[in-house]
Amino acid sequence: MNSNDRTEPAISARGLTKRYGKLTAVNNLHLEVKQGEILGFLGLNGAGKTTTIRLLLDLLRPTSGQAFILGHDCQADGLRARSLVGYLPGEMGIYSHLTGREVLDFLAGLNQQTVDREYQRELQDRLELPEVDLRRKLREYSTGMKRKLGLIQAFQADPPLLILDEPTEGLDPLMQDSFYDLVVGVQQRGRTIFMSSHVLSEVEHVCNRVALLRKGELVLLSSVEEIRRLAPRRVRVFFSEEVKLEQDLPPGHETVEINPHMWSLRVEGPLGPLFKRLSGFPVSDIEFEERRLEDVLIPYYREGAS
Amino acid sequence: MRGPLILLVYSFRRVRTLVLVMGALLAVFQVFLIIVARSLQNSNAFAQIGSLIPPFVREVMGPSVVSFLSFDGLVCVGYFHLAVMGSLVALSMTLSTTLTSEIETGFMDLILARPLARHWIITRSIVVTTACAMGLLVMMMIGTWAGLKTLAPRDVAWPAPGLILSLASNLGLLMLCWSGVAMAIGSVSRRRSVAGSLAGLLALALFLLDYVARAWPPAESVAWLSPFRYYSPFELLTGSSLPIRNLIILLSTAIAGFVMSYIFFSRRDISQ
Repeated sequence: MNSNDRTEPAISARGLTKRYGKLTAVNNLHLEVKQGEILGFLGLNGAGKTTTIRLLLDLLRPTSGQAFILGHDCQADGLRARSLVGYLPGEMGIYSHLTGREVLDFLAGLNQQTVDREYQRELQDRLELPEVDLRRKLREYSTGMKRKLGLIQAFQADPPLLILDEPTEGLDPLMQDSFYDLVVGVQQRGRTIFMSSHVLSEVEHVCNRVALLRKGELVLLSSVEEIRRLAPRRVRVFFSEEVKLEQDLPPGHETVEINPHMWSLRVEGPLGPLFKRLSGFPVSDIEFEERRLEDVLIPYYREGAS
Repeated sequence: MRGPLILLVYSFRRVRTLVLVMGALLAVFQVFLIIVARSLQNSNAFAQIGSLIPPFVREVMGPSVVSFLSFDGLVCVGYFHLAVMGSLVALSMTLSTTLTSEIETGFMDLILARPLARHWIITRSIVVTTACAMGLLVMMMIGTWAGLKTLAPRDVAWPAPGLILSLASNLGLLMLCWSGVAMAIGSVSRRRSVAGSLAGLLALALFLLDYVARAWPPAESVAWLSPFRYYSPFELLTGSSLPIRNLIILLSTAIAGFVMSYIFFSRRDISQ
């Protein structure tokens, strides 16, 4: 199949399962990542995120099921599949006697795609890893610099699919912003990004969809917008005079903090019942906080942890 | 082919210092042996040392025991001295288990996440191990030649080039044999320390088996299991021709180890 075939999913997992003896790391995973989207892959430590990534890259062999990258079977046609991928591992296992430049050239050489030097330089500029730093040995690199180098090596061949394992780990907030810009930029050029992360705000910021793994099973797959819609609203109501909450709030309303001049509430569903309830109260102001992904996702995490 | 070639170049660059230093040390050792042999030759000490060997030792060990009590015999010791054999076998094992260390450090993830077939990892390891073994033996032979050229007494016979070549090729195949064994172990191991220790202990056990079997007949029945049995420098020193059968056994063991490495590595999970 042609890798430019836009109908083919960038990633397709069909019943993917990986067991280690009695431990099931990934269980019957069915997942499709569309071309051109950014999918955030979430889950607690040990949920099976990295195992799934390693199965896609044929580093691990599935117990059952199949995975495809842009239509190519990750095992049977693994070379073609991997030629379409840029990969950032969770930890960069690179020998410290090499310079950053040597690492980039070595890894570029192993790819079948050619590296555009202009694009590589642009990546260096965006991630602030100048040539002078690339000439230094890796033993002199900080954690953040190694991460930047990892990102450059993953992006440098401009592959159709980027698989990133916790990409912002070790990056400072400014670099994280640069990374978000980079990711959005490559998406606009039609590239697909599959990234695992623990940082919900980052997933909310850049991802189109979210897949959440719990104990090796996919428990949530939805668009960020959809999840936001499910999230309860945080509402703060200010009063010009002292008021007292004498009656119960409508269903789906939960008090976070109550004092005579301010109520802080979590509201699930429409706001009509709240406004109805507030009629007759001396309301001076109402503040709505933006809906947060974590309000929906954290309960999923908690269920997994319990 | 570009990817495998780049990996090969990188792998050679990684081990070059280790191999060059070791080769230089072994070459210096050859020169050192020539200095010792010259000294013994000039003081006519070979005959005196020979006369000190008790008759029963000569009987048990055969004529080979005195075969190195000559200038050319002592020069050849550099190709079967325990320290030389031990360090060469250890280096072969180290080079052969590099792939395990690459898995352990996560470097293999970066390599195999690229469009590079797994068999290239084993092929690369075989090429590097074989080339380094050959390089080391060549450096040893250069040491021998340079030492003889500059330090050997004028009136003394040099070891025949064919003999040196036979010793070196037999030693080289012994190294390759242990490379195959270590690589097969390394291709199923998760830790290089485990792979190296296992291969090292196996080598030590089989070396002792061969050693014991030479003096204790009951051990003879299983001594064929030891690759060291198929490296017989004393026989070469006494004028026997290169035992092709021994070479074939060592080479076959090496090939079997390499084939097992291909199979094990192609099926394993790459996980730290």
